[in-house]
Amino acid sequence: MFKTTGFISFALRRFTGVVLVLYLMLHIWVIGAATQGAEAFNRRMEVFASPATHVLEIFLLAAVAYHAFDGIRLLLVNAFRVTGPRKSMWYAAFAVAALLTVIGGLPLLLYALGISY
Amino acid sequence: MTTNGHRKNATVWIQRFNPDFDRRPYLQPYSITARQGMTLLDALHEIKTHQDGSVTFRRSCRHAICGSCGMNVNGRNVLVCESPLKDHLDGKGRVTIRPLPFLPIIKDLVVDRAKFWEHYRQIKPWLLPPDDLPEREFRVSPEEVKALCNAEKCIMCGLCYSACQVVALNKGYIGPHALLKAFLRTLDPRDSAPGERLDIVADLTGVWRCHTIFNCIDACPKSLDPTYAIETLRNLAARRLAFEEERRERQARFGEPVEVGPPVRMEPTARVESPVQTGQRIT
Amino acid sequence: MGFFRMQRLTAVALVAFMALHMVVVHYPPGHLDFTRVLERLANPLWKAIDIAFLGTALLHGLGGLYDALIDMEQIAMARRAVAGGLATIGLAAFGYGVYTVISFSPAALAALR
Repeated sequence: MFKTTGFISFALRRFTGVVLVLYLMLHIWVIGAATQGAEAFNRRMEVFASPATHVLEIFLLAAVAYHAFDGIRLLLVNAFRVTGPRKSMWYAAFAVAALLTVIGGLPLLLYALGISY
Repeated sequence: MTTNGHRKNATVWIQRFNPDFDRRPYLQPYSITARQGMTLLDALHEIKTHQDGSVTFRRSCRHAICGSCGMNVNGRNVLVCESPLKDHLDGKGRVTIRPLPFLPIIKDLVVDRAKFWEHYRQIKPWLLPPDDLPEREFRVSPEEVKALCNAEKCIMCGLCYSACQVVALNKGYIGPHALLKAFLRTLDPRDSAPGERLDIVADLTGVWRCHTIFNCIDACPKSLDPTYAIETLRNLAARRLAFEEERRERQARFGEPVEVGPPVRMEPTARVESPVQTGQRIT
Repeated sequence: MGFFRMQRLTAVALVAFMALHMVVVHYPPGHLDFTRVLERLANPLWKAIDIAFLGTALLHGLGGLYDALIDMEQIAMARRAVAGGLATIGLAAFGYGVYTVISFSPAALAALR
């Protein structure tokens, strides 16, 4: 039963959710450098300004976009009890998330490659 | 390929497991002649009768009403009695038949459905009529019947239960079959205990465990919609007291004539988005 | 049911917060440093928005983690402990986060200079 869009949507949603909550903890810690003053904050931000981090941020964006739009799809299913077009709704959510990842990820990729625009 | 387009030979891979002798299940191939109009059940009978009498499987009515012959064919849960053999053969004429997933295997293609039935009994699958019965019949409108979404057509085959990823994770989950039946009873105007029913299902092993995976709808041979039923129960659980009051008011009006509006079209049940080539769906 | 409703409400709020966060923080191009963040967070309205965003994200995220964990029967038996643990982590993270947001004060920048 692993080839259904339903299973893929559930697995991806759960996976991105866990990734995002772990990222949130990391984010709180990173920004927490501000409690030690401006200099400490700037130093910590330098650590995370490498090209590799920018590439990872594209994956983060993908996770946020997918989780958000799959979540919106679920909100619609719950509020309007629509089950007929279930596959189309998932494809639409995935497509929108993918599109936003590409649009939002492009500046990040360019930044990582050192290309200014 | 013959002139009428049917492969002559088919290879049926069957998952075998004898708990007395085998340490783990394994797939065994059988070669049969694919005759015109053969179903997967016919193929299994052919194999059991002429090749290997030890192949074990459940079946009864052979026309998709008893719910006995549910199996996992090429990764999908189907009733083998209504599944044409040719529709499930791949390019090389092979088909793989396994028992329903996530359930304990008793032998070969026979699974233990004890949990399935236990969860079904949990939701009180019978009508709880009001204390004062109407003088004559219960009068229920066509709209009220339509709201039940054909849930009474469920044949308790277990395809939905076995397809559910949550069942795979948690055997305590009541399951789509029980929730569909709970929906049927809760929405029936003749039932006098909707609040009690909502209490049973609006619980952490009930409606809140469903993650809207939709495998149940995809698996159902009667095109029923357990997800719709579960979402409805969730919404009703949120306004339980109001719903109970509405039911009491409705039951006070059982003796009155029912307003019959324009004919209500009983639409087919859940729309099948990508129909599997299993021949006619019986609705 | 209350839990489900909370997940839904926080989900809707997060879509809005997230969109705002992306547009305001991450898409003006350029380097993120203390001064740039301070430009926004010196305003108490932004401090309030960020604190609300943090609280909503923690509720939804840790709530979702709880839901995923209690899907498994063994863990469901210990759900009160799991909920307690996650709530503790959430409160600690929220506390630290609020303290961080408050740290973006002109006084901190002045201390550096």
